[in-house]
Amino acid sequence: MSATAHPFATRSARGRQLERMTFTVFRVATYFVLLCGLLVFGDIFVKGAHTVFQSEFPYVNVPFLTEAPESLYVFEHNGKKMELGDRAFRAFQSSEAARARAENRPVPRFKAESYVYSAGGIWPCIVGTVLLVVGSMTIALTLGVSSAIYLNEYAKDGPGVRFIRLAVLNLAGVPSIVFGLFGFGLFVIFLDWNVSLLAGWFTLAFMVLPVIITASEEALKAVPKGFREGSLALGATKWQTIRTNVLPYALPGVLTSSILGIARVAGETAPIMFTAAYVVRDKLPWEVDRLGDFFFQGVMALPYHIYVVSSKIPQNEYTARVQYGTAFVFLFIVALIALASIVFRNRMRRIYKW
Amino acid sequence: MPPESTPPATFRIGKARTRFFGLTLDETIKAFFGGNALMAVVVLALITFFLFREGFDFFTQNQHSIRVYREAGLEFVDYIRQQEQDHTALTRYLSDVRLRTLQHFTGHEGLTLAEANSRLEGFDAFAGRYGEAVDPLRGLVSELTEVATEIKTKYQIIEDMKEKRRQLLAEGKTAEADAVIVARVDFKTELGPLIATLPAYKETSDQFATTLRETLALAPALPTPELQKRMERFRELNSDYLVGFPVVLRQLEEWDYTKPVPAWHAFTGFIFGRQWLTASFWQDWYGVVPLFVGSLMVSAIALMLAVPLGVGAAIYISQIASAREQRLVKPAIEFISAIPSVVLGFFGIAVLGQILRTLSQFDSLRWVPGFPFAERLNALTAGCLLALIAVPTIFTLAEDAINNVPRSFLEASLALGASRLQTILRIIIPASLSGIVSAVLLGLGRVIGETMVVLLCAGNRIEIPDFTQGLVAVVQPVHTMTGIIAQEMGEVVRGSIHYRALFMVGILLFLIALLLNFLAQKIVRKYRISIG
Repeated sequence: MSATAHPFATRSARGRQLERMTFTVFRVATYFVLLCGLLVFGDIFVKGAHTVFQSEFPYVNVPFLTEAPESLYVFEHNGKKMELGDRAFRAFQSSEAARARAENRPVPRFKAESYVYSAGGIWPCIVGTVLLVVGSMTIALTLGVSSAIYLNEYAKDGPGVRFIRLAVLNLAGVPSIVFGLFGFGLFVIFLDWNVSLLAGWFTLAFMVLPVIITASEEALKAVPKGFREGSLALGATKWQTIRTNVLPYALPGVLTSSILGIARVAGETAPIMFTAAYVVRDKLPWEVDRLGDFFFQGVMALPYHIYVVSSKIPQNEYTARVQYGTAFVFLFIVALIALASIVFRNRMRRIYKW
Repeated sequence: MPPESTPPATFRIGKARTRFFGLTLDETIKAFFGGNALMAVVVLALITFFLFREGFDFFTQNQHSIRVYREAGLEFVDYIRQQEQDHTALTRYLSDVRLRTLQHFTGHEGLTLAEANSRLEGFDAFAGRYGEAVDPLRGLVSELTEVATEIKTKYQIIEDMKEKRRQLLAEGKTAEADAVIVARVDFKTELGPLIATLPAYKETSDQFATTLRETLALAPALPTPELQKRMERFRELNSDYLVGFPVVLRQLEEWDYTKPVPAWHAFTGFIFGRQWLTASFWQDWYGVVPLFVGSLMVSAIALMLAVPLGVGAAIYISQIASAREQRLVKPAIEFISAIPSVVLGFFGIAVLGQILRTLSQFDSLRWVPGFPFAERLNALTAGCLLALIAVPTIFTLAEDAINNVPRSFLEASLALGASRLQTILRIIIPASLSGIVSAVLLGLGRVIGETMVVLLCAGNRIEIPDFTQGLVAVVQPVHTMTGIIAQEMGEVVRGSIHYRALFMVGILLFLIALLLNFLAQKIVRKYRISIG
C-alpha cells in the first residue's frame, strides 16, 4: 500500500514503522525478563533434578530428603575413587582396619578430602522451614486479619486510622535485614529467648504483617456493602454481621492472598539469620526433654542452609550436588506455594463476582 | 424479681448484655480488633526503639575510641604514615608507566621480552632509586608504630582492670575489687619518646625530600609522547607531594594529645568515614562511606537494568499486548518475584558470575567499560541479579499506575487522530509518570534493602570503588550495608563498639527505607491526576 493511496491515511509509513519498532522493543523487554526468570528456574531445576531424582525405583532420592547433612569424604581405595558420608566412612575405616588386622597387614590409612554438609540430606532443614512458616503465619494471620477487620469494618476515617495505614505502608518498606536486627535486639537479647523458634516466629510474623493486612483488607473490601446492610437491617449486631455475613465471603480471598505471604516467609533468610537459624543441629526439633524447650530451640532452615552451602564450602563437583539439590527442593516448595496463590487468585476472581 | 412488678413501659428484647471491664461484648470485640490494628504502629515503634537502644551507644564508644587514638599517639604516627603511603601510591603510578612502556616495546616495536627489559634498565634504576628513597622514613614509622602500640596496649590492660573491678563491685565483692590495682597511664611521660622523635623526623623528611628531587631530575626519557606525558604528570604529582611536606611537619608540631575530641567527631567519623576497618592491631575505624557507596552502586546498576525492562514490560502488557498474552505474561512476571533471594544469590555464585566473566573476555565486547575482568563476584554480578528482583516490583506498580489512567484520556487522544505510539508516549506515560516514579523508588527501596544476593555475589571487599578510571568501577567487588550486617553480626561481641556500629548501619538502612517510602507516597499524592 503506498502512502498516498488513501485520503485518510494520515500516518506516514515511517510513523507506522517507528510504531512497530517501538512496540517490538517493548515486547523484547517483556520476554527478556521472562527469559531471565526461566533461565534461573531452568538451571536449578535441571541440575537439581540430578540430586533429587534418580533413574531407578523409587525415582526420588529418598535419603537426600530424609537424612541429616553429613560431611562427605572423597578418597582413593584400590585405585577406585570412593565417596562416602561421615558415618559410612567411619564404618568403612573400621571394617578395613579389622580386615587388615585379621590378615596381619598394617592398618591402612585413608587420605580423604572432606567436604562439610556435602553428603546425607536436608531433612532437618525442611522440618525447620515448615515449623517456621506454620508458626509465623499463625501469628501473622491472627494479627493481620484482625487489623484488617478493624480498619475496614469498624474504623471511621480519621487521623488515627490514617496513621495506622501509614505505619503499615512504611513497615512494608523496611528491609528484611533490619527486621533481623530488630528481632535480635528485642527477642534474642532483651527478652532473652536466645536463638529460638519463638524469636524467629515473631520476627517473620512482623515482617509479613503488612502483606497480610493489605491482602485481607482487599478481600474484605470485595464483599459487597449490601451483605452488611441486609444483616444489620435485620437487627444483627456488628459482630454478628461480620461473623456471618462478611468473613465467610472474605475468607477465601484472605487465605489465597496470604499464600503469597507464606512464600515470603519461607524465602527470607536475613531475618532468621540471627534469630532462629542454626548452621547445623544434630537433634530434630521434637527431640526435646520438656515441651517448653520446644519453643526455645533454634532450627536449621532451608534458605539458611543454601546460604551456608553456597558460601562456606568450595564449589566443585562433590559439593554442587548438595547445593543444587537444596536449591531445587527450596525453589520447588516456594514456587509451588506461589503458583497455588496465583492460580487460586485467578479462580477466585472468576467465582466471586457480585 | 416477680414478673408482675416489671413495668410494661420498659419493654426489652433479649437478655442483659454481658460486660467486660465495663464494655459490652461488641465493644470488647471492637477493642480487640483495634488493638491488633495498632500492632503495626507498635512494631514500627519497637523497631525504632530497639535499633536505637542497641546502636546509640556507638557514638560514646566511638568518641572514646578516637580519644584513645589521639592520647596514645596513634594519630601522631598516622600523619607520618600517610606521608609514606602517599609515596607508595606514587610508586604504583610509576610501575603502571613501566608496564605501559613495556607493552609499547613488545607490542609496537616488536621486541622480545628480554630486549624490552634491557631497554628499560635505565628506567628500572630510576624507579629503584625512587622507591628506596622512602626507606629511612619507613623505618621511622615502624619504630614509632611500636611505641604507640605499646602505649595503647598499656591503656587497654588498665581498661580491662577497671572493667574487672566494676564487675566485682557489681557482684558485691568489695574486698576483691579493692585488690585489683588500677594504675593510670601518664600519657605525657609515655608520649615523651614519641614527641622527642620530631627533630629526627625533620631530618629524615628533609633528606627524603632532597633525595626525591635529585632522583626526579634523573627521570629517563620515554619513547612515545603519550608515555612522556605520563612521566610529566608523575613529576607534577611529585612536586605536589613535596609541597605537602611542611604541612605534615606543621601538623606534627601542633599535635597535642590533650586536645579534646568533640562529640560530633564520633558522628562525622561514622557518616563520612572512608574506612571500615575492624579487628585491626592498630586502630579500628567505622566509616560507613565504603558500604554506602557499595550499596548505592549495586542499586544503581540494578535500576539501570530494571527500570527500562520493568517499565517497558508494564507498557507492553497494559497497552499493547493482547488479552490472552496479558493473562499469561502478567502472572509469570509476578511469579519471578517469588524466587527467594538466596536462591538468586546461589545462582549468581554458581552460574551468572562465570557467564559474565566469560562474556567479558570476548574480544568483540572489549568496548564495554570494565571488560574484561577477572573477579567473578563483583558489583555487576550482584546488580544483574538485583535487577531481576526489582523488575517484578517495578512492573506491578507501574502497570497499576498505567491502568489507573482514565480511559477517557486514551479515547480522547485516539479520537483526535493520534497513533497508538503517540498516545502512549504523550498521554499515557505523562499521566502515569508519578506512579511510575514512585514504582521506581519502591523498587530502589527493595533493592537497597536486599541482603542475600549482595552478601553472596557482590565480592565483599570493603573499599570505596575506584572511580578514577570511569565506569570500570562497576566490575569491582564491593561490600554493602546489608551485607556487612549479615556477615559480621554473627561474630561480634555483644555490646562492643563493632556490634553497635552494625546496629548504626541498620538504623541508617531503616531511615533510608522510610525516606524512600515517604518520597514515593508524596510523589503519588502530589502529582496524582484528578479525573475531573
